[in-house]
Amino acid sequence: MIRLYNVHKQYGQHVALRDVSFTVSKGDFCYITGPSGAGKTTMLKLLYGAIQPSAGQLQVAGMNLSMLKKNQLPRLRQQIGIVFQDFKLIPSRTVGENIGLALEVIGTPRNLIERRVQAVLNIVGLPGRDHLYPAYLSGGEQQRVAIARAIINDPSILLADEPTGNLDGAMAVAVMDILQKINLRGTTVLVATHDAALMKRFPYRCIRFRNGQLEKR
Amino acid sequence: MTLTFFQHIFRRATRSIWENLYLNAVSASVIGASLVLLGLYSLIQNNLSTVIDSWNKDIHISVYFAETVDDERRLDLRDQIHAMPEVVQVRYVSESDAKKWMLEEVSGIEETLSELGDNILPASLEITLDAQMAHPKQIENFAKRIQTEDFVTADYGVEWVDKFNAFLRMFQTLGTVVGLLIIVAAMFLVTNTVHLVIYNRRNELEIAKLVGATQSFILLPFLIEGAIQGLIGALGALTCLWVIHKTLVGQVQQSETLKLVTDLTFIPTSQQIILLMIGLTLGLVAALIATLRFLRKVG
Repeated sequence: MIRLYNVHKQYGQHVALRDVSFTVSKGDFCYITGPSGAGKTTMLKLLYGAIQPSAGQLQVAGMNLSMLKKNQLPRLRQQIGIVFQDFKLIPSRTVGENIGLALEVIGTPRNLIERRVQAVLNIVGLPGRDHLYPAYLSGGEQQRVAIARAIINDPSILLADEPTGNLDGAMAVAVMDILQKINLRGTTVLVATHDAALMKRFPYRCIRFRNGQLEKR
Repeated sequence: MTLTFFQHIFRRATRSIWENLYLNAVSASVIGASLVLLGLYSLIQNNLSTVIDSWNKDIHISVYFAETVDDERRLDLRDQIHAMPEVVQVRYVSESDAKKWMLEEVSGIEETLSELGDNILPASLEITLDAQMAHPKQIENFAKRIQTEDFVTADYGVEWVDKFNAFLRMFQTLGTVVGLLIIVAAMFLVTNTVHLVIYNRRNELEIAKLVGATQSFILLPFLIEGAIQGLIGALGALTCLWVIHKTLVGQVQQSETLKLVTDLTFIPTSQQIILLMIGLTLGLVAALIATLRFLRKVG
């Protein structure tokens, strides 16, 4: 599902990632972890095509991202769901419209979008909240809306960048529960986090970074 | 791209217009104002051309008989001139006809004319020339050819028509240059206004890109928005021009001097369509430039 061979990413003189190679199989749940500045976010950005590797090969959902053309980027992003620490919800759109955006961009009919929105809101435990605006929801609820948006088009991969970073303990556990549930449905889940307690509570494979390199254990 | 995709695009466009009503109104007004300027130019130019054309089609020379020429000779000269190929019509105006015309046209002149005597106005021939004789030089040559000792003077005031034609040509060139400048300035202003709309919605657009929106999904609603702005601006401009035209017509009809010149006509349909097209293109191109600039920035 995800394959990296000697991936290298450099910003000017600064090396963000150095010779990174790993594989994540279909249906895996995996953490990308390490201290701040270790390269976790850079790694995720590479995986959803926000940046391109300076060297090396990178394959996600059967697409070679090292040779990805700009017009192929939407196709990649339609196959992966992304969850951000700051939720990235549109304040002027309702919960339903925020979630439905991922289907709107691929031209799904409105009635089908509405049905799918209700279905994913049930999965994330927010049934009937589609008409509310994000400002009326708590941080945990907003993150669940962001997860609902990420999974509405049944992506094969879900990438989450510090999804519990802005949440308290109980909310963080609730969000992890949802991610676990999504993984059990067959979606490959990659979570970038440095929350050791959470990783201990939900033990899965860890890919550790330190100073832009994979940490050998 | 499916029909549903276009429904989403159109809904996004109309929603964006509604949510950014003020900025959209500014864009449409800028387009409208520039088209009013272009339309005014067109209105003036068309009416001036009509006046010049009417003058060119109606080329007259008046030749005045010397007092010594008797009636028989006058009619003979009239027939000779009428037989010339350049001449369309010749009208003999006797002294009494001239006096009658003067009394009809100029009020309160009766007393002066009676004091000056019966034959104060000379008899003349009013010669209408073929429309092909439009060049002042041709008219001057013709006048010289027919002017013998039988005539005292010839009046062929067409030189100023030619000067007016030259002015019109200069007006056209100047209009084209100013028109282009207006279009470029409007394009710049509208592009920046669309840019403000995009700036207002940049988070939404970035999120749309993150969930897999294509370039067309981002671009098309702005193009629709631009086209609507352009069309509304152009329709507003045409309405304004119509009001201006109606006001001018009213004023011209009140003025005896101007009424004699010509009837003011509105911009022809073909030019109205061109103005609509310019508005549409302005809106579209401005939206295209602003959106592509944004897309290049966010990648």
